[in-house]
Amino acid sequence: MKRRTAIRNIGLVTGGLLFLPSCNFSPDRVPIVLNKLQISTDEEILLESIVDTILPETDTPGGVALKVQNFVWIQIDDCASPKQQETFLAGLRSFNPLVRERYYDDFVSLDLEKRLEILTSLLQADDTPKSVYDFLNTTKHTSVWGYKNTAYYLTKLMPYQLVPGAFSYKTITINPNEKININA
Amino acid sequence: MPNFNIDSTKENTYDAIVIGSGMSGGWAAKEFTEKGLKTLVLERGREVKHIENYPTTNMMPWELKHGNRIPYDLKKENPIASRCYNFMEDSQHFFTKDKEQPYIQEKPFDWIRGYQTGGKSLLWARQTQRISDLDFEGPARDGFAVDWPIRYKDLAPWYSYVEKFVGISGEYDGLDILPDGEFLKSMGLNGTEKYFRDVVAKKYNNQRHVVYGRCAHITENKDIFIQQGRAMCQTRDLCRRGCPFGGYFSSNSSTLPWAQKTGNLTMRHDAVVHSIIYDDTKEKATGVRVIDAHSKETVEYYAPVIFVNASAFNSNMILLNSKSNRFPNGLGNDNGLLGKYVAFHNYRVSINAEYEGNLGETTIGRRPTSAYIPRFRNLYKQETDFLRGYAAGFGASRRIEQSSEGLGADLKENLMKPTYGNWNVGSHMMGETIPKEESTVTLDSEKTDQYGIPQLRINLDYDDNDRKMIKDYIEQFTEMFEAAGFKNITVNDVPDKAPGLDIHEMGGVRMGHDPKTSLLNKWNQLHACKNVYVTDGACMTSTATQNPSLTYMALTARACDHAIKESKKGNL
Repeated sequence: MKRRTAIRNIGLVTGGLLFLPSCNFSPDRVPIVLNKLQISTDEEILLESIVDTILPETDTPGGVALKVQNFVWIQIDDCASPKQQETFLAGLRSFNPLVRERYYDDFVSLDLEKRLEILTSLLQADDTPKSVYDFLNTTKHTSVWGYKNTAYYLTKLMPYQLVPGAFSYKTITINPNEKININA
Repeated sequence: MPNFNIDSTKENTYDAIVIGSGMSGGWAAKEFTEKGLKTLVLERGREVKHIENYPTTNMMPWELKHGNRIPYDLKKENPIASRCYNFMEDSQHFFTKDKEQPYIQEKPFDWIRGYQTGGKSLLWARQTQRISDLDFEGPARDGFAVDWPIRYKDLAPWYSYVEKFVGISGEYDGLDILPDGEFLKSMGLNGTEKYFRDVVAKKYNNQRHVVYGRCAHITENKDIFIQQGRAMCQTRDLCRRGCPFGGYFSSNSSTLPWAQKTGNLTMRHDAVVHSIIYDDTKEKATGVRVIDAHSKETVEYYAPVIFVNASAFNSNMILLNSKSNRFPNGLGNDNGLLGKYVAFHNYRVSINAEYEGNLGETTIGRRPTSAYIPRFRNLYKQETDFLRGYAAGFGASRRIEQSSEGLGADLKENLMKPTYGNWNVGSHMMGETIPKEESTVTLDSEKTDQYGIPQLRINLDYDDNDRKMIKDYIEQFTEMFEAAGFKNITVNDVPDKAPGLDIHEMGGVRMGHDPKTSLLNKWNQLHACKNVYVTDGACMTSTATQNPSLTYMALTARACDHAIKESKKGNL
């Protein structure tokens, strides 16, 4: 492991220990309002924890702080077909039992490093049940899309201009040292 | 109460009635009101005021709840509208939903409609290429349809007239197939597009041209645009939402507010035209019968001149449904050809590839147009085993690869390290199709819509000529791409892609010299009912390959001028 990454990971782990995970487990949390999907608070917390693992807080905000989990739920609720919804929920519902069977604990109660290890292995291993794999894969790609669609990403990381101005379309010579803005 | 009827007739009487407020109807409204005619514009859809009723126009991407994706239920309820490339979360409210107006597809046809103020002028692709004599002379030379009753010289001054008001960004290319117009500054081709232009010019001895796609965007400040309340295009490339700057032309931003300012315009929304009223004794059309979309009540409006600009197929429908003793088969339909010889543009195929050169350059910003390749087949004589030919769009953009490998901090880091890939290059064909007698729109004898208007039956399909043209487009563009060293050439032909998504349906009320073989004369008047003019896509004798809206606008302005002069002479 590269030294910088190692240091950062230590920071993350201790951060997690000190400030508790970024997920809100309190019983008075307000459930997300969905049109079609019937989901429990536990399921909401689980998806939040998965999103937090996919896009954790680093020196920039993580997916949960940017409410990427809501984007995922809304996509599945409004835009997925009934069959896709069924597959997604089936995967979500067999995910934690699988984690408990293999790691003897609930996913949400594990620290970030362990959660990361679990997701990495489930997305790579050949013996991951298809429903769990599909669920994680959909969640990852939808989370990445949602993250790239957040105000934070589109103003701070890859700034998007709603009104670029007249004649803003230009051919330019690439400066190899300049960071690429995919929304430029 | 006899007086009541006289009063209400008087109240509902105008100097001109225009059916439809879209691309061409907006022009009729402008021309008539400017010349002092009290004009009624009938729009079957709801009111969409410029800026005020563009609900998504200033939204940032994260404000769209579904990331600009169409929700499942909306998609399922609208299989036809959903197939349009422009039907997105931020623009879906400008599309007519499928159930509003059912129609019968004798063969699959995706009929894309936009019922609201401005019609589809809010949604168009804004490409504005003039039609040339190589197109107007096509039917006569090649022996299909009938001869156009006009030539380029008849329309050229009207193209100029319209372009100066609309605002066209373009380059002077000096091509006979694509006559130059009144252009504002170009937004430019990029380096890779210019490279392809040069390769093609060289390989084909300057017989094939890659030019800047002329488009209805304001790129210079001029008094005429300021007077319209329109500003320069801000290259947002979000035109489908409606433009708060009026940077691109729509009826909403341009012709309708202009007509409104004269004080001579009356706009009536939610007014579904049932038919045109023909008076057997006066031997002319006297008005329009309208069904209120909400109350379903019938109202009649009267005027000495009527312009039909309802969109190509709707204009056919209205005329077919306008039955009288004199015209039992539809207004002006003495020869039985009304609704026949309809056609479209063949957009079935596109070709993509990669270019591994010019890697030191990229583009920034969003350009609302691309390159255009005018027709190069069968220009001066018949050379191929198919009639006519195709134009094509062409565009190049630098690919940016963004890895979403990994999870956690690695994933976030990967997302922040995009790299430049090769250039993506792509082209799509725009084929001329041949209007044929068996290509028809008719009224169903039994099924009606929610207003009691007979449903339209559309019978239109690709033919052998189209298939041969597709094959040629693929061969020629593969050759052109290979000459430019483009790699990974991929042909996207979707044989089950129905006609219609070009949104260039045309014909059915064609222009021609002879009342026996055409419906309209050279001024767009019905041969058999001179105070009714049709100046939208329905009037097209042949389709040419160019995006047609500019031609509809020019034909409309020309026909309005004629109508005003004729009515002054007492000829209408």
